[in-house]
Amino acid sequence: MSEVAYGRLKSKKRQERTANLITLVVVVFFAVLVLFPIWWIFRTSLMTNAEIYKYPPSLLPADWLFSNYEKTLEIFKFWKYLWNTMIIIVPSCLAGTFTATLCGYAFARLRFRGKKLIWALCVGSMLLPAMVTLIPLYIGWTRGLGLHDSYLPLILPYFCGGGAFNIFLIRQFIVSIPRELDQAATIDGAGYFRILFSIIMPAIRPAMIVVALFIFIGLWNDLLQQMIYINGSDKYTIALGLTNFRGQLKQDWSLTMAATCMSFAPGVLFYVIGQKYFVEGITLTGMKS
Amino acid sequence: MDTINKSVKRRSRIYSAEARVAYICLIPAFIGLIFLTYVPLLSVLGISLTNWTGLSAPKFIGFDNYSKLFTSDPYIKDSIIATIYFAALSVAGSMIYSLFIAMLLNRKIPARGFFRAVFYVPYVLPAAAIYVGWSWLYEANFGFFNYLLSEIGLHKVLFIADSSHVVPSLSLISVWLAGNLIVIFLAGLQNVPSVYHEAAQIDGANGWARFRHITLPSMSPIIFYNLLMSLIANLQVVTPALSLTNGGPGNSSRFMTYLMYDQAFVNYKLGYACATTFIIFAILAAFTGVLFKTSKGWIFDEGGDDDK
Repeated sequence: MSEVAYGRLKSKKRQERTANLITLVVVVFFAVLVLFPIWWIFRTSLMTNAEIYKYPPSLLPADWLFSNYEKTLEIFKFWKYLWNTMIIIVPSCLAGTFTATLCGYAFARLRFRGKKLIWALCVGSMLLPAMVTLIPLYIGWTRGLGLHDSYLPLILPYFCGGGAFNIFLIRQFIVSIPRELDQAATIDGAGYFRILFSIIMPAIRPAMIVVALFIFIGLWNDLLQQMIYINGSDKYTIALGLTNFRGQLKQDWSLTMAATCMSFAPGVLFYVIGQKYFVEGITLTGMKS
Repeated sequence: MDTINKSVKRRSRIYSAEARVAYICLIPAFIGLIFLTYVPLLSVLGISLTNWTGLSAPKFIGFDNYSKLFTSDPYIKDSIIATIYFAALSVAGSMIYSLFIAMLLNRKIPARGFFRAVFYVPYVLPAAAIYVGWSWLYEANFGFFNYLLSEIGLHKVLFIADSSHVVPSLSLISVWLAGNLIVIFLAGLQNVPSVYHEAAQIDGANGWARFRHITLPSMSPIIFYNLLMSLIANLQVVTPALSLTNGGPGNSSRFMTYLMYDQAFVNYKLGYACATTFIIFAILAAFTGVLFKTSKGWIFDEGGDDDK
């Protein structure tokens, strides 16, 4: 009897192990598929043009021509574009994360009149597609405030709450922190801001990092607004610079791919640093509620 | 009586101090909500009733822009078709792909964290660079995909230079980019109680039955969330048209947001572009509305209410 049960358990375990092995094989297969385009772009960036057009194409470059990157840097002003992009991204990330935290704190912890209404307006704006407000905002920034060829229309919105989704995310996080912590601090005589800065903020650090990463990615991917607000080529961001560069060099694929790879690099670097918080943050944000 | 009054007074004083702090915290968001969201939203409607070009003063022309859009605009029909076609393929593709990958990554395989990171990588690359990179993979004569096709004995395909292939080709890229959906699905899967699965397994339910009757229902709020976010994002698609196709070939990738951009910032027809914006908004609202309406039937709510 017990031998039968033992045998069944053993076969079940074996079954599970086979299932996991098959899963692993499928996951590896898809991971290779996902990474392959990036590899193809990278390997092209290290080839001579003759090698690119060789048939059949090879998976590896014959010699690794890192000199392509030097050549690209002569035309593609990567460092300048990177600097310009950072001028937009760094203040936006800092201000957006901070103001989103302030709002999230108010919604999560404080009682005040009109809370339901303001919360509804806030959540409602999450569903409002960004392109709807594009033209009036453009008119407001350029006509109303005279901000032509300026980064301010891209940065200043992040000083205004950091986006509804981020406020929502921070609030969810704060709600999950036990209130007893605040109450203990209140008894010790801490005020609301003191509680925010020395208790809440350290506790929600992962969420704040996730918000900063989301703002980073949002700006990183937003070609449309950059195209509208920035005109001068000395003010180009990476996205604008690359789009323009591709137009200049229609056929030189190795240099174009070198420029593409350079544009990939900061995001990958940022992600490798913040990766842990990213997954943890999204997992913890109470997607469950 | 007196003590009650006193305590009420003290309560309200605390309340007002608390409220003051709350209002200070909310000032930035409040300014943002008013001036960056709701005022512009109303302005779109207002400007759409004018013939503003940005040069001369705007003149009120009633619903002329709208009637022109519906009767004589050469692009709007193709544009709506292209947008919905793109969104349908991208949303369906990325939802199936990301749920599938998330379920695989939810099993106990070695190096799970590493694989999770891998599937997220495309999402952190700048969109403009991704489209440029993929344009090389899609290249007509020497691109990787055409090499594959010729290896298996098929004809070459002009992926983004052929009006009937450009939309599916672009949506393949957006499926590839769906790493954030995977992470959110994964978070949801980890909240599905494993006792249900074990109980069903003892009752002899096979893999598909367990997926159909346990995983799907308990994941339904997250499926809804991902569906909604991915629908809103894909119906607003613009970057591939801006960085790669310029709406072409023909009008096959002249997505609605690109059409709006073109009218406003290339042709300076601000009033007309605002009318287009409002049409896009109406289409988006219709889709999200339908999604919300039908969701009541299939979202399985455990009744978990948060503190609101």
